[in-house]
Formats: sequence, C-alpha cells, structure tokens
Amino acid sequence: MTQINEQQRTDSSLQSNMQTKAQRRIRNTDRFARGCFTVAGWLAGLMIILIFFFVASRGIRVFLPSYGAEQQNIWDFLLGMRWRADNQVYGVAFIIVNTLVSAFGAALLSFPLSVVTALMITRMASPRVGTLLTTVVEVLASIPSVVFGVFASAVITRFVDSLAGLFGQTTAGGNAMLTTMILLAMMIFPTMTDIAIVSIQAVPDSLIQASLAVGATTMQTNYKMILRAARSGIFSGLVLGLGRAFGEATAVSMVAGNAYTGPSVNLFESTRTLTSTMLTGLKETTGLDYDIRFSVGIVLMILILITNSLIFLIKRKVGGGSEHEQ
Amino acid sequence: MNKEKQIDLEQALKSSASERPASEATVKPRTAESRQAESRQAGPLPSELQQEGLQPAEIMADVKNLELYYGDFHALKDINITIPERQVTAFIGPSGCGKSTLLRCFNRMNDLIESCHIQGEIHIKGKNILSPETDVVSLRTHVGMVFQQPNPFPMSIYDNIAYGLRCQGIRDKQLIAERVESSLKKAALWEEVKDHLNRSATRLSGGQQQRLCIARAIALQPTLLLMDEPTSALDPMATSKIEDLVEELKADYTTIIVTHSMSQAARVSDRTAFFLLGEIVETGSTEQIFHKPEDPRTEAYISGKFG
Repeated sequence: MTQINEQQRTDSSLQSNMQTKAQRRIRNTDRFARGCFTVAGWLAGLMIILIFFFVASRGIRVFLPSYGAEQQNIWDFLLGMRWRADNQVYGVAFIIVNTLVSAFGAALLSFPLSVVTALMITRMASPRVGTLLTTVVEVLASIPSVVFGVFASAVITRFVDSLAGLFGQTTAGGNAMLTTMILLAMMIFPTMTDIAIVSIQAVPDSLIQASLAVGATTMQTNYKMILRAARSGIFSGLVLGLGRAFGEATAVSMVAGNAYTGPSVNLFESTRTLTSTMLTGLKETTGLDYDIRFSVGIVLMILILITNSLIFLIKRKVGGGSEHEQ
Repeated sequence: MNKEKQIDLEQALKSSASERPASEATVKPRTAESRQAESRQAGPLPSELQQEGLQPAEIMADVKNLELYYGDFHALKDINITIPERQVTAFIGPSGCGKSTLLRCFNRMNDLIESCHIQGEIHIKGKNILSPETDVVSLRTHVGMVFQQPNPFPMSIYDNIAYGLRCQGIRDKQLIAERVESSLKKAALWEEVKDHLNRSATRLSGGQQQRLCIARAIALQPTLLLMDEPTSALDPMATSKIEDLVEELKADYTTIIVTHSMSQAARVSDRTAFFLLGEIVETGSTEQIFHKPEDPRTEAYISGKFG
C-alpha cells in the first residue's frame, strides 16, 4: 500500500497527488472519529464503574475494624430484622423482603393491565383514540416521581385507609405496603405499556393476515398470536418496569411509612424499602447513619442485578420462541 | 401434468407469436355493456363452461359482475369468472392488474382495507360470500390462503398447524395430532419435520416454511385454496417442490393460484385467466390460452411483448 503511495508521489502528476491528499484526509477524519467514539464509550463505562466502586467502598467501610467504635457486624446487617437508627441497630433483611414484595406486587397489579392497554391501543381502538391514549401514556411516563409522591400521599393513602377500614384494619395514616404498591404500579405502568405498544406494533402485518386467514377471530389473533409474537418485547418492558419499581425512591419515601421491623405480609401495615431507607432523612444525618446508606445501596444494586438476571433467564426460556428445542 | 404436454406448451409459446396472422388477432373490443349483456344471457351458468359440458355441481366458485374500488381507484372492473371444482385456476397478468386483489376477495381479506368497497357477487358453492350476512371467520376456514412471503407464526411447527384448529374451538388432542400429521404429509413436509415438531417454525428454510403454510391452510380442510404468488420468494428447487405439491393437492382441493410466471401457470394450471388493468381479458383452458389466445392483448402478453 505504502509502496503504491510512494510510487504515485514520485509520479508527481497533479491528479494522483490530489488523490493521495484526499485519501489521507479521509483516513485522518476516520481515525479522529474512531478516537472520539472510543473515548466516549470508555468514559461512560468508567463512570458506571466509578460510581459502583465509590458506593461499594463507602458502604463496606462501616463493617471494617478501621471504622472504630461504631463498626457494624456484616451478618447482623444482612440478616437483621430491625432498623432502629436511634439505637444504632441496622438490619436490612426485612427491608429486602419488603422491597421485593412491593416491587413485584406493583408489577403484578400493573403488568396485565399494561399489556391489555397496549393491545387495546394498538389493535382495537380507532386511530384517533389510539393516538390520544398513547399520548396519555407518554405524559404519564414524563410525570416526575415527586408529583406521583404527593398525589399518593394525598389520595392513595386516603383510599387505602378507608379500604383498611372495610377489613377492620387500621393504617398509619394510609402509609402502607398497599399504598406503595399502588403508587409503584402507577409509576411503572407507562414504561411497560410503552414498550408493549412498540413490540405489538412490531408484529408483522403478514402474521396478522395469516392468522385471520385460518379463521381466527380478531380477538383470537390478538391473544393467541400477537401477544405470543410480541412476548419477548413485552418481557423486556416488565424488566424495565421492575427496575423502576426497585429504584424508585422519592415517591416511595413519601408513603412507605418506614416501618422499624418486618417483614410484613399485611398490606395495610407500613413498610420500608431499600430506597426509602437510603433517602429518608439523608440530609439531616451524619456519621454511621449516613455511611450505612451506602451499604444499603450495595444491597440494592445486587438485588436489581439478581432480579434482572433471573427475569432474563425466564425470558430466554419462554420469550425467544427460537429456543424451543426438544 | 405430464412432460409431453409441457414440451408441447413450450413449443406453442415459442411459435404462437410468429405463426398467427395479424388479422386474426384483431378482435372487436368488448364494451362493458356488451359483456354484461352476455353474462345476463348466460343465466346461472357461464356460457364458456357450459360449452365444455360443466354441470353446476362441478362449479366451486362463480364471480358475477364484480367491481372493486380502493377509494376512488377502480381496481377491478366487471369481473366474471367461474372456478371449476378440483382444478387449478391460474391468474396471470402484469403487476398491479388486480389478480391478487380478486384472489383476496374469495376469503374477504380485502375487508381489512378500509378504503376498499366491492359490488357484485361471488358465489362459493352457491352461496354469495360477499353478502353482509356471511360469517367471514367461518368463510376463511373454508377458503384457505397461502401468501406471497412464507409467514409461519413464531411458534412450534406443531402449534402452527394446530393454531387454526384450536381457534375453531377444537380441544380434542387426538384429532389435532392426527390433523397435524395428515396436513404435513399432504404438504410433503412430514418426513423433514416429524422428529422435531416442537422446534420453532421460523427456523425452517423458506421453502419448508411455505410448505408449512400450505399445511396450515389445509389443516382446516378447506374447499378452496388460494395461493398468492406462493413461490415468488423461493429458489427454483423450492419452487418446483411447491409446484409438485399444487399438482398433488388437485385431487382434494380446488386451487386458485396467482402467478407472475407464465411458465408456472402453464405447468400447474388447468385453466388460466389473463388480467390486464383490472379486467379479465380472457379466460379459458390453460392449453387454449397459451396455444391460441383469442384476444390480441393475451397473445401479446403470452408471447412476451409486455409485462
């Protein structure tokens, strides 16, 4: 290659000279662009790694002897069923359970509804109603979580409180597991619906025609064929929705009630999630009570990682379609 | 179709253009009124088929004065055609001439297109399927369809065939299993897939997928089978397999096949209808259409002057 270039240069004809110049310029631009992308990619990756390591190192510190008199026992932390900051008792086990229950409970409430809504918007509603509902879903997705939070603390709490009354139970002013679930269900609904809409729209028209052509009704086509063809994408929506449910802090902190002990399966009892534990009172505290929140952060990250991996495995089993080996 | 006949037709194809004198080809163009008058005269039995001695019982479908519009566009103009039972009828003609559109009328697939409206009648076994009282879902179980692109469902091979049956509310597992096997055998796919019926159908080759789609259609035991350019997405080997299959299915099914390939029409069909600009120019036995077409436009198309 270089030989040819040199030959061209020795030719010293104007045309070939211009060609090599142009070629060099293209090559340099190419190299520069490649460099930019590489740097950007590494920066993004580095940022995630940095955050993880910072949170981890700060979170682990409280379990090390070097932390001094307030050093915590890691097993007491991981297996503890009480969280009493005032007594310096920090047990996170029941919080993990409560977080899982509230997130999956929210998904249980919201997922079927979001799939049916997506199907309705894409396949049943008239184009006008469909567009309107899609806009509503998108607006819902863009509402800040703090707004969801004030709504929940003003409205859902009251609803849950009167519901509890019907069952002869009382709540802590409506701050309860059920309130958290309903709030999270509302918050993850647009995420899941949006993705379900996209994946249902991606089902090729040819499949829908094929289904109708073998005498399936429109509803049979919707439920037996379209949902099946779109299930992979719908599952991805569930993963993202659960991710949001696990990670939501602001709004949840406003209605969780931050129970001291647990776990509790009573929907009307107040609860405590990993995020609400991290957030509540963050700015009014120092020392151990501040540092331990980083430890909770590690637990949360690992929890999300495990849940997502599990769902990914399930998705591979039922969602792919092509993995249907005997 | 035997080899001799095929060669015969190919020779005819080559020679027809040069041998036929030009004067013979100038036939008086028929106006819409005169054609309508003719079809009225013919009464319940279309004249051309009556001449061939066809009884009403042997008629699968009968299209009468069909007009079809996409919005303002007049896509099909005064279509009259009779589809005899247990024969293969080919629709040929250049792109956009309406042959697929007519095909999709037989199972009311055009219902899906909002701007489409249809006048006229299509009788299948004596029943006008275009009437609003027709149960379209049930019609589609009697009139199967195979599409241009193989479109298996993203499910197992077994479920693909069973899908239509299950949609009919059939729960009898024994019956479904039998039907799956017999359909796959009829579609000449059984030997290739019998050991992995649970494998996803999307992993089959294009030709296998198309045969699966044929199996899926015949699992419902339709009386009429519609094929919309079933081989246009396939390689020559897969194409010849599908053509053999069409030939074999003739014993049990009436088939209408839309094709771009004239040689395919010549190979597989008993009767051929030539479409041009939304009209049927000429209908007749395949031999007649390819040997001695009556209309100069048919001849021009057959001999490759356009299209």
